[in-house]
Amino acid sequence: MKGIESVRGYQEEIIEAIPSTIIVVNRSLEVLYANRNYYAKSVAKRERDVLGERLSRVIPPMLIEKTGIIDKIREVFLTGVPFDGDQIRYPGGMFYFYKIYPLKEDEESISKVVIFMENITELTRLEEELRESYVKLENAFAELKENDAIKSEFISTASHELRTPITVINSYIEMFEGGMLGELSSVQREKIEIISSQIEHMIRLVEDMLDVSRLESKALKINKYPIWVDDIARKAIDDLSRLAGLKEQSMSLTIEGSHSDVEGDGRRIKQVFNNLLTNAIKYTPEKGKIEVIITDEPEDVCVSIIDNGIGVAKKDQHRIFEKFYTGSGSSLTRESGRMGLGLAIAKGIIEAHEGRIWVASEIGMGSTFIFTLPKKL
Amino acid sequence: MKLLIIDDAPEMLRAFRDILEAYGCEVYVAENGEEGLARYAEVMPDVVLMDILMPKLDGISATKKILEMDPSAKIIVISAVGKSGLDNECLLAGAKKFIIKPFKIKELLSSINSLVAE
Repeated sequence: MKGIESVRGYQEEIIEAIPSTIIVVNRSLEVLYANRNYYAKSVAKRERDVLGERLSRVIPPMLIEKTGIIDKIREVFLTGVPFDGDQIRYPGGMFYFYKIYPLKEDEESISKVVIFMENITELTRLEEELRESYVKLENAFAELKENDAIKSEFISTASHELRTPITVINSYIEMFEGGMLGELSSVQREKIEIISSQIEHMIRLVEDMLDVSRLESKALKINKYPIWVDDIARKAIDDLSRLAGLKEQSMSLTIEGSHSDVEGDGRRIKQVFNNLLTNAIKYTPEKGKIEVIITDEPEDVCVSIIDNGIGVAKKDQHRIFEKFYTGSGSSLTRESGRMGLGLAIAKGIIEAHEGRIWVASEIGMGSTFIFTLPKKL
Repeated sequence: MKLLIIDDAPEMLRAFRDILEAYGCEVYVAENGEEGLARYAEVMPDVVLMDILMPKLDGISATKKILEMDPSAKIIVISAVGKSGLDNECLLAGAKKFIIKPFKIKELLSSINSLVAE
């Protein structure tokens, strides 16, 4: 009660200032009061034309007809229950909202009702616009999802369809290599080795495509068992030392602390090392340095792969983990032999292990790729 | 050793035949599951190499039917489809092994040999 006390004496001004139309009528449906907003909205009506006049002469017939407001007012007088509001549409695209409230003299009798009326045209228009944008957005989203599904399906099909021809080629290469198709000259042997290594490369690309479609359909299987991250790192570095050797790069491994309490899929974690190290070798110039540092954090084992290569621009650092992203340069300057899947797959695998992966880098200053694997607590 | 290869890709059949014959196997082929059933009854091979996606009768159904006919049949499913759960489905159908393309012939041969030695 205190609040209302403090404005007693100002009620009139407050009511007059309300930007809605307020009309009070008696049981005979004669207008007892209309606020300033009513006069502002009604052309050429003054107080003396309105007060004591029947409501049906004061508000437009169209409104009366559309709303059935007279019956509703009678109903409120009869029952004492407020009419909680309805929306009406006016010709010319105007929208109004109105409510009818009983004013009780005492417990029993209702001698007056108050009608609130508000122009909600602008609000309705905005609501309509919002609804339309929402529908458009939903349609666009559905279309996008469909395109994405078609693309995923294509990747999956392509990677499957390539398997049979690769297997056939591989089988004959093995026959050649095994001398089952006659002795090979040294030149023939050398060329077969080239075909063989290219087929190996093709198999990796196909495997990557399949992994990406597995990641998308959440079908990437992670078999968790206790793993030794140190050993996996050592093995991955070993496997790639020949490739790094071709560029006379040095690779080193530093292990701090013990890392026995990690569970994960060893084959998949090896794949992450492989993808990150292959990138490091690729983007580090000859005689460069690649370091792997494994540290022990309170809740994670943290792996950093540091190179002193060309680095990653700030604007690309987030996007390089997206699939098919091969840098922001023109597609013609793109390096061959990569589909932009390695980091997307690494991210997918690490996240499937509830770890995190990110990059810290500056152009020309090398890159540090970091991933964490949660310890089993 | 008698091998029956059931695969709808003629190039694959040809390659299997070339290489496995070079290793001294007797190779029989069929281009779909239905034909595979008939060939199985005819030649009673030591080991079957079975593709999955084939017209008429797929590899999983063909595996089940061959095992109905001969519960001691040794079937290796070789698929290009790496869909998760498919390996289990094949093993449940009674296949002894599930191999994904591409594979090394040497691995395939060791799988065949270990099955025959059982």
